[in-house]
Amino acid sequence: MSEQLALLPGFLTAHLQLALPALLVATGISIPLGVLVTRRQGLEPGVVGTASLIQTIPSLALLAIMVPALAALGAVTESVFGFKLRGIGYAPAFVALTLYGILPILRNTVTGIEGVDPALVEAARGVGMTSHQQLRRVEFPLAMPVIVAGLRTSAVWVVGIATLSTPVGATSLGNFIFSGLQTRNFDAVLVGCVAAAVLALTLDQLIRALESGIRKRRPTRVRLAGGALVALLLFTGASFVAERAGGGVRPIEIGSKAFTEQYVLSEMLAQQITARTGLPTSAVQSLGSTVAFDALRTGDLDLYVDYSGTIWATIMERSDLPPERGRVLDEVTRFLRDEHGITVVGALGFENTYALGMRADQARELGIASIGDLARHAGGLEIGGDYEFFQRTEWEALENAYALPFRRQRTMDPALMYQAVAEGEVDVISAYSTDGRIAAYDLLLLEDDREVIPPYDAIVLASQELAEEHPEVLDALRPLIGAIDADAMQRMNLAVDRDGASAGAMARRFLGSLETEPPPRSESP
Amino acid sequence: MIQLENLSKQYGDLTAVDGLDLNVARGELLVLLGGSGCGKTTTLKMINRLVEPSAGTVRIDGEDTSALAGPLLRRRVGYAFQQIGLFPHLDVAENVAVTPRLLGWQEDRVRERVDALLRLVELEPQTFRGRWPAQLSGGQQQRVGLARAFAAEPEVVLLDEPFGSLDPITRDRLQRWFQAVRRELGLTAVFVTHDMVEALLLGDRIAVLDAGRLLQVGTPDELLLHPAHEKVAELMATPRRQAAAIDALLGRPASA
Repeated sequence: MSEQLALLPGFLTAHLQLALPALLVATGISIPLGVLVTRRQGLEPGVVGTASLIQTIPSLALLAIMVPALAALGAVTESVFGFKLRGIGYAPAFVALTLYGILPILRNTVTGIEGVDPALVEAARGVGMTSHQQLRRVEFPLAMPVIVAGLRTSAVWVVGIATLSTPVGATSLGNFIFSGLQTRNFDAVLVGCVAAAVLALTLDQLIRALESGIRKRRPTRVRLAGGALVALLLFTGASFVAERAGGGVRPIEIGSKAFTEQYVLSEMLAQQITARTGLPTSAVQSLGSTVAFDALRTGDLDLYVDYSGTIWATIMERSDLPPERGRVLDEVTRFLRDEHGITVVGALGFENTYALGMRADQARELGIASIGDLARHAGGLEIGGDYEFFQRTEWEALENAYALPFRRQRTMDPALMYQAVAEGEVDVISAYSTDGRIAAYDLLLLEDDREVIPPYDAIVLASQELAEEHPEVLDALRPLIGAIDADAMQRMNLAVDRDGASAGAMARRFLGSLETEPPPRSESP
Repeated sequence: MIQLENLSKQYGDLTAVDGLDLNVARGELLVLLGGSGCGKTTTLKMINRLVEPSAGTVRIDGEDTSALAGPLLRRRVGYAFQQIGLFPHLDVAENVAVTPRLLGWQEDRVRERVDALLRLVELEPQTFRGRWPAQLSGGQQQRVGLARAFAAEPEVVLLDEPFGSLDPITRDRLQRWFQAVRRELGLTAVFVTHDMVEALLLGDRIAVLDAGRLLQVGTPDELLLHPAHEKVAELMATPRRQAAAIDALLGRPASA
């Protein structure tokens, strides 16, 4: 718990950096827009309709859509204004949160102003106010409680949804939740959830107190609530300035996808780079699989670990039967260099492949050892897969090769998949072969007897920018190439998943052992 | 002081006011009398252009009001609303001070004027200055509404059934008080009501409207004794009958 709490100031600051500016900008857009709608006939359906439409997009999807949208916009800004908008990280999260924050404020501004007693509006005209004075002195103050109610709703939403910006590469309190769920660290999940809830309620109550203080003319309340809000804003602003000032050297941005092995490996890369080159690094955790690749391609990320089979199936879109391991690696390396300017620094030495796994006792009972055996029993069994598995070419290839008519397919979060199979909720899962939970839950990985799943060598990918600007970083990583075998990786994963060790500690221990012991025999070039 | 010339208001096919000609002399109180929908409130609102006339002209002090910006015109003309319309987020003093502040008066002058008006409408400034409209009784609100209408020292005030929602005793008190104040300030006033007794008691002259047209305009005496239209005669019959009934109760022979 104390290890998690130590991360709280950083994540909380990052969360404020996302939520407060998004809320301010959303307010700055919504209130004038709401006033305009009440002033111009016929605008309301279009404007409020559009805002409602945005709201119907699931928040996680809206965040994800912003990544390619901003990457495209970034290409434009780069050619026109000479600066590049980052497609991952702060910018997409900020834009999505701002869009999300608009509707409640907009709708309440319109409702509030339209709800002002027409007799009072006429009285305002009657005493000689201009249209602008009517708005500022009568309609707006009278609509204020309703508008502020919208602002409070928006504040709670934005703070809550900001936790979902982790997969697009923006640090937030969501980092606790995403990595906590993946590594079965429920302290982390708890800290993230409680902190986000407390922040949301605090903002809500401060805004409420400020509004009621102004309306009821309680100067003390206005000073206290207003002071607290201003202090939060100043703190957030200062944290931006401090980052700018401190960040003389651009840190090496190291990505990780959302599972334990990725956290351990990204820590390992970061520690190795800092130890060998002294360059600062920055972790961008729990990214979606294609988000990470796209970010590396556009230079928003400098480094991350991917798997040759994933590139083969997802990026190269090859559904033909893969050749042997070395050839796949060669083709992937050539493809990434030629098509995307990405450098494959090397293979780490182990494979983490998709594999079908089931409870060892159930497999024994049914006499299943290979996927070929499984095919005969599939009709009575249920399979659980991660979010992408059933859409991947590997699954298509498996179905084509073995014909697997499962009784039911269920898509679930990888963090829950292992527990589900262990508890008999499903019979078979799309396991990752190095996952520590395979041993922890006594699962059996079925042999792919027809070799349709491509080899999944873990490979370190570097962006073109990094390879050009910091070749020494690539050199610093060479000692890791071929240095991690599947056993070592599985042990580290298990230590994190089952024993609650931190990814950073496991990475440090491994790097330490690398210094003292000779690395295991290299299996890769 | 106020001249309405051929004043009309059309709402689509509906004619609310139809070619009205009326004059109000300086210091005079003219009552616009008629049933609901007769066009009396629309006429009143066209004088300060809360409603823009469809045709015709309004002159105040010889000046064509259509040549003025609406807000500037309305700051010069006091208006008391039927629904009172005090701003609930402003206290009593701020409500009264609205128009003087729009006119950019010095704060000292505003404060003096507000206190003077509150005293005039018999609301002790010390007590009532900081009250919220919601804390006032209906009669107190009416008086604050009148103080607001008088605040910017207008020469002309327009009043739309300002005593409409009061109990008879308060109404009687406020009516008598209002006459005294109006005379003291020398205000020219147009007063809308559908209440015959109120019209007869307050009006220097009464204009009777029906379906947007002027039936007759004259002093209460003229209307009572020489109604020019059968509808006017019908209207005047009511207060006469009531007066006769009261006289009978008191054991006196009905007077003419």
